[in-house]
Amino acid sequence: MKTHPPKYARRFLRWFCREDFIDEIEGDLLEIYAQQHKETPRRANWVFIWQVLLHFRPDFIKSFSNYPLIYPGMLKHNFVVTLRHFTRNKTSFLINLIGLSTGLACTLLIYMWVQDEVNMDKFHQKDDRLYVIMHNLEMAQVMTEDYTTYELAATLKEEMPEVEYAVATNDFFNWNNKYGIITAGDNQLEIKGLHAGKDFFNVFSYPLIQGSGDQVLADKNGVAISQSLATKLFGTDKDIVGESIEWQHIGYDGVFQVTGIFEDPPAKSTLQFDILFHLDLLDDNDPHAREWNGDYVKTYVVLKEGSDLAQFNAKIKNLVQEKFPQNEHSRLFAQGYSDRYLYGQYENGAVIGGRIAYVRLFSIIALFILLIACVNFMNLSTAKASVKMKEIGVKKTIGASRGNLISQFIGESMLLSVLSMLVALLLVQILLPQFNSIAGKQIHFEWDKPLVLSILAISIVTGLVAGSYPAFYLSSFDSSLILKGKFGMSFGEGWIRKGLVVLQFTLSILFVVGLLVIHQQIQFTQTQNMGYSRDNIISFKWKGDLYDQSYQIAAGKSNEQFQTFMQRLKELPGIVNTTNMAGSILDEIYSQSGSSFFIEAEVDPNTVFQSPLVGYNFIETLGMEILAGRAFSVEQGDDYSKIILNESAAKLLNLEDPIGKRMGWNAGNEVIGLVKDFHYGSLHHDIEPLFFRFEPMGDHIMAKLSSNNIPATIARIQQLHEEFLPGNNFTFSFMDEDYQALYEAENKVATLSTYFAGLAIIISCLGLFGLAAFTAERRKKEIGIRKILGSSVLGIVQMLTRDFTKTVLTAILIALPISYFIVTQWLANFSHSIELSAWIFLLPALLVLLIAWGTVGLQTIKAAYINPVLCLKEE
Amino acid sequence: MKPPSLGEFEELVLLTVAAQHDEAYGVSIKESLEKQLDKTINISAIHVALKRMSEKGFVDARFGGITQDRGGRRKKFYVITAFGKQMLDRQYEIRSSLYHRIPNISFG
Repeated sequence: MKTHPPKYARRFLRWFCREDFIDEIEGDLLEIYAQQHKETPRRANWVFIWQVLLHFRPDFIKSFSNYPLIYPGMLKHNFVVTLRHFTRNKTSFLINLIGLSTGLACTLLIYMWVQDEVNMDKFHQKDDRLYVIMHNLEMAQVMTEDYTTYELAATLKEEMPEVEYAVATNDFFNWNNKYGIITAGDNQLEIKGLHAGKDFFNVFSYPLIQGSGDQVLADKNGVAISQSLATKLFGTDKDIVGESIEWQHIGYDGVFQVTGIFEDPPAKSTLQFDILFHLDLLDDNDPHAREWNGDYVKTYVVLKEGSDLAQFNAKIKNLVQEKFPQNEHSRLFAQGYSDRYLYGQYENGAVIGGRIAYVRLFSIIALFILLIACVNFMNLSTAKASVKMKEIGVKKTIGASRGNLISQFIGESMLLSVLSMLVALLLVQILLPQFNSIAGKQIHFEWDKPLVLSILAISIVTGLVAGSYPAFYLSSFDSSLILKGKFGMSFGEGWIRKGLVVLQFTLSILFVVGLLVIHQQIQFTQTQNMGYSRDNIISFKWKGDLYDQSYQIAAGKSNEQFQTFMQRLKELPGIVNTTNMAGSILDEIYSQSGSSFFIEAEVDPNTVFQSPLVGYNFIETLGMEILAGRAFSVEQGDDYSKIILNESAAKLLNLEDPIGKRMGWNAGNEVIGLVKDFHYGSLHHDIEPLFFRFEPMGDHIMAKLSSNNIPATIARIQQLHEEFLPGNNFTFSFMDEDYQALYEAENKVATLSTYFAGLAIIISCLGLFGLAAFTAERRKKEIGIRKILGSSVLGIVQMLTRDFTKTVLTAILIALPISYFIVTQWLANFSHSIELSAWIFLLPALLVLLIAWGTVGLQTIKAAYINPVLCLKEE
Repeated sequence: MKPPSLGEFEELVLLTVAAQHDEAYGVSIKESLEKQLDKTINISAIHVALKRMSEKGFVDARFGGITQDRGGRRKKFYVITAFGKQMLDRQYEIRSSLYHRIPNISFG
């Protein structure tokens, strides 16, 4: 009769019992059980269980800690094997190391860049409650700006219980000139500053070195200056409170007492200022300051803890109109102050994005580059699997579990990723200054906790990703097959390996296409016919006195000095023409004109017209084309009542022949000319209806120079400037350079992505190089035999290249539609974009194919020229 | 190094191993001891004693062949080593010399 002791007790015994005792113990127990079972079967069961439990003691329990990661001997073995593997396969080790470390360096740099972007303006202590009040002008299109009315801050503080602090700031001392001259003792400097309400230091966290937050701006005569300004003016930043400085500016001048010194605003602050004046100075010096319909200051609020933003927004939405009923188009809303840096684009009065797009773009690029580098590792280690097959087979036979092998291979990739990270850190240290200058950043390498943690996380994730596929793939083989040598045949180019190469090259092609399109678009915008000529035009600001017509000239001031300067300037040799305007043609924000300007024509009164204020010769200097009528001229005695339309405006107003039509308030303006459409501002915008107003006293001077000997002409202008405004720095810029600066963000993205795309291709090719070298090596015998049988070198090269060509072609087929989709999406952001031609896609495809061929070709040609005797004689 | 000691139960097991020369294994030792001492003995106690004595070098072990009995598990046969025998001899000497020193005592 067969007897069956309790199953679970037996299984438990087998689970815990040491291998070298299981025979003795289980055998003896079963023997006793069989005896007892004959007499008392039920008791026998209990005795068996009890005896099993009695054996559950340290003497017989096996060691459960024989996992290689914990078991030091195994760990050491794995480590040694890995190192040996590295030294034996120097090429693939180097390829992996170079690929991974450049990939990691890229990722680290991008990580630091993204961190910097994301942390912009986040350093203020009350950041989570700090908001900027935004202003929507709801006209035909909604215009969103951060300028609000002077009274807003005080009103908010008074009327809204949830507002803890509200402060207004203003950075343009005067509509025309933002710079003023500051004097202390013998030191004189030209600087730009900020007006701020008294709660400025309660709202923002700019640490004060001297003075207290509440006191600094308590008095209209007090100013706070930055540490660096203090050092420049007084030679020290100690004990300066109480010193006096002299301030000269068109808006106002006077002597002020230093009441506080603040640390220079950090690079992470978008608000940069050297001097803080009391806001009331504006009110004293500008009769319009307090008007509710003026957009004069930026308003910031700190809400009390626990306030509801949506509720607050609902309350302030129509505030301006409530206070000043004529302002029917003004709507307010609050946006998180630090959010504004990344989310600074608005459409129809709502946030639609901004720099966050670049942050996302670069994050994706970093991920892709790292992925490409990981793919190299995966490919090379699986390709080299046949070399490791024997090791795996033997290990499996003597009892290594799959887990053991997986952890060995993961450990190998971890080791490599840690080594690469060390190299990458070194690379980052070296490249950081260069990167900063390209990206326009001041990123420092600081070993703070988040950085260390992310470095660790990136290394571990890279090790896992790179090691996972090889580990699972290599450990899956059947040891008996491996050792019988039956694996070589089926071990060709696995489809996963091909798939990975396809992925690499798809990404590379995406990068190159994207890069080409970005460059094309930038080229396009920078050489686009704007409707006027930017060549050889220099512009500079008049920093001398300039009085406005309505108040100051009426009060007896005179602009004679400026007029004489303009006259003399025009007569200088080398000058073709000169003109002046208020604001700049490239910066369209300055002179918007509002609604209902035209009364004669039937037009939606909410249409916004651009209305730059320009002086004599403006149209002539910039080479714009007059379609009808004439430009402003001295001979005709033009004054403020004359305007010139552009085509779009005439079309909008339905005017066939606009010349001589009267429009504007009380029909006070007469149209004297019509110009061909041109681009005002950057090409991000469409050509909009526009009219020129006449303003002979604009401080923005433009001079067209004849193309020969420009330096001499500039020197003459400088001399003249010195004569009129002694001691004043002559700073000028070329208009085409200013124009390029409008596309700074795109330019930086373009430059950075050039480097990244280049790297992506290099890393991909490294992998391909390794694979090709390995394939050639593995098929050496085949090549030898083929040559003996009469194959030509060309034939062998073709044979070896065919596989790679197919792979790269697949990548091209996948990449092109995707890149087309992405690129059309991006171009939709521009109102004037390039036509996508076929070569934008074909060129990168061809380029990648050629590079791949070049990489593979070198290896294959070397292999094809091999002397068959050399590779066949061994065996 | 201190010479290994031999506990009382271990001594009994070792004696049995020596007595059943080359044929001693867990169950046989258990049965013989139970008969001699007239009480039940846990097999686990014997296994522990055998393990410790084999670590101390008093016994050697060999495996028997695989049979259909015992769930296919081999018997582990124990044999006393020279060192083990020496140990038993010493124990015996100590005990008998002590025993002979007992004066004639009458428990009248």
